[in-house]
Amino acid sequence: MSSVELRKVDKHYAGYHALKAIDLTIEKGEFVVMVGPSGCGKSTLLKTIAGLETINSGQVVINGRDVTKEEPGDRGIAMVFQSYALYPHMTVAENMGFGLRMANRPKAEIDAAVKRAAQILRLEEQLDKRPKQLSGGQRQRVAIGRAITRSPEVFLFDEPLSNLDAALRTQMRVELSGLHAQLGSTMVYVTHDQIEAMTMADRIVVLNKGRVEQVGSPLELYANPANIFVAGFLGAPRMNFIEAQIETVNAAGVTLTATGIPALAFGGIDAGGVSPGDAVTVGIRPEHLRVLERANPGQASFPGQVRLVEHLGRETVLYLDASPLQATNSDSGTGNFTVQLNKVSPINIGAQLTAGFETADAYLFGPDGRTLTPRKPVPAT
Amino acid sequence: MYPRPIPEDAKIQRALYVGGVTLVVALWLLPLLAVMLTSIRSNEELMAGNYWGWPQKFSLIENYTAVFEQTAMLRFFLNSLLITIPSVIGVLILSTLTGFVLSRYPFRGSNLIFALFVGGNFLPAQVMMIPVRDLMVRLGLYDTIYALIVFHIAFQTGFATLFMRNFIAALPGELFQAARAEGASPAQILRHVVVPLVRPALAALAILTFTFIWNDYFWAIVLTQSDAVKPVTAGLNNLRGEWTSAWNIVSAATIFVALPPVVMFFLMQKHFISGLTMGAVKG
Repeated sequence: MSSVELRKVDKHYAGYHALKAIDLTIEKGEFVVMVGPSGCGKSTLLKTIAGLETINSGQVVINGRDVTKEEPGDRGIAMVFQSYALYPHMTVAENMGFGLRMANRPKAEIDAAVKRAAQILRLEEQLDKRPKQLSGGQRQRVAIGRAITRSPEVFLFDEPLSNLDAALRTQMRVELSGLHAQLGSTMVYVTHDQIEAMTMADRIVVLNKGRVEQVGSPLELYANPANIFVAGFLGAPRMNFIEAQIETVNAAGVTLTATGIPALAFGGIDAGGVSPGDAVTVGIRPEHLRVLERANPGQASFPGQVRLVEHLGRETVLYLDASPLQATNSDSGTGNFTVQLNKVSPINIGAQLTAGFETADAYLFGPDGRTLTPRKPVPAT
Repeated sequence: MYPRPIPEDAKIQRALYVGGVTLVVALWLLPLLAVMLTSIRSNEELMAGNYWGWPQKFSLIENYTAVFEQTAMLRFFLNSLLITIPSVIGVLILSTLTGFVLSRYPFRGSNLIFALFVGGNFLPAQVMMIPVRDLMVRLGLYDTIYALIVFHIAFQTGFATLFMRNFIAALPGELFQAARAEGASPAQILRHVVVPLVRPALAALAILTFTFIWNDYFWAIVLTQSDAVKPVTAGLNNLRGEWTSAWNIVSAATIFVALPPVVMFFLMQKHFISGLTMGAVKG
């Protein structure tokens, strides 16, 4: 049975269409991460599941029960907030037992639940402290503990790690994944951090402008983005995009041209989708670009000059100016191409080199942004 | 544009500044000092015209005993307490409720209601004198302490609502969402989350309204007549009539009357805990 089901959920704020007919099914015990840029509606969607936001139309079903009109406290959910939202005048134990206390549960039951949550989260030493005496990581653990004590059907996390520093974030990420394995509960997690999404999720939901762009496992989404938005959103450094035009279309595939690069041929394209003259976009992930000894005829390649080198130890990221060929919509805001080499490289700023890629590794996006290239194999896990 | 600190090495400016501030403070405190001095002088000395000089004879005990033995001040004092304490409690309860609803549960017309609460403060009290007196006469409350209690609660709640609404609106919104998500009802949120967190505001508001109501003279003379219900402010005026020449007794009574707001301040002081919401949200 599904744990959470959203059916045609629609929400308007004054004059603003925040959620557009969202359909989503989350299975029991699943860890689903919702990602998207600021203002895409991911937090609104989470609060809709929680019942903190009302919806204009559609249904929210939790554990087979239609809870669209129910109060948050009756939905069997527990929520963890970005700002922790701990009650400052209560001790850690009182904070964690708050929900049960409000439900007038017997004291022994509350104490047992608090003790159990404190054990899971290693907070036994902190139970009598106030939130202000705790570090950021401990505060977030208390907030999670407060959720655990109520034994909810569904945990909702609203960017819970974004106030923590990088080291703590990694630690909490691992702890949360461990917690999910231990409790086996359904968890819905909102973040703008794609590393959190890729590492923690069973499935990722990519949202954009109040719409679900794609749902799938992290590697599936990475290998087979449904459209140009998902392709650009997942992956750091970001995918390189080249604007091109369809030259010919035939049964074998398409050829296309772009300023500054020899004609490219893509096989396996559904010829019905495009016609000659259409503006399309080619996408190449930075790790699929290679530095070539020399330009090979028959392989897609282009010359350029290195503008910036980032040595990350394990890998090297080059920013390549390939004028007149321009990368559009790039992270750096320039027309430079991002090349990721999986080793330390002696290349310096100003070096002239040739970058190349296999068209089999590249993606082709149609005029409407949909992916035209055939499915790529997803690495087995 | 803005006052800037005077540099340490500008000796003359600093001296002028300190001198100026001292002068202003002295001027400000002069009437109070005069009352205090008068309250410990003997009547003969005042008759002889020694208003500002060092008292030749200290009549502190005599004067203050006289206040209780020869005047009805104790009665007035009790009346004031009977009027002020229920009024303050009423104002605090009502304004916490209105402030909570107006800041956290907006509904159609809630802004209008809030505007009415705020706008009422701008109405000069004198405008309402005759209608309010009339109302109290018809309600049968005229010349009872209830007239003053009802009026003060109604009148002070306007300002208090503005105060509490803004304070509660400034609490982190996620605290309320968290409480809701945990199944707390609005009443439970009010009791377990809002009230503990607005304690400093309630303390400040208690002092303010206590002082307002305690010091009110206008409504005291508009709504009461008999000595049995008069509060201290109206009672002090009585004193002047009976003891025209006994300024030392009037001064002693004045000091006595001025004490409760000061005591109130010290009682409430421990609730002014800064940064009570620290640790609620990030930071």
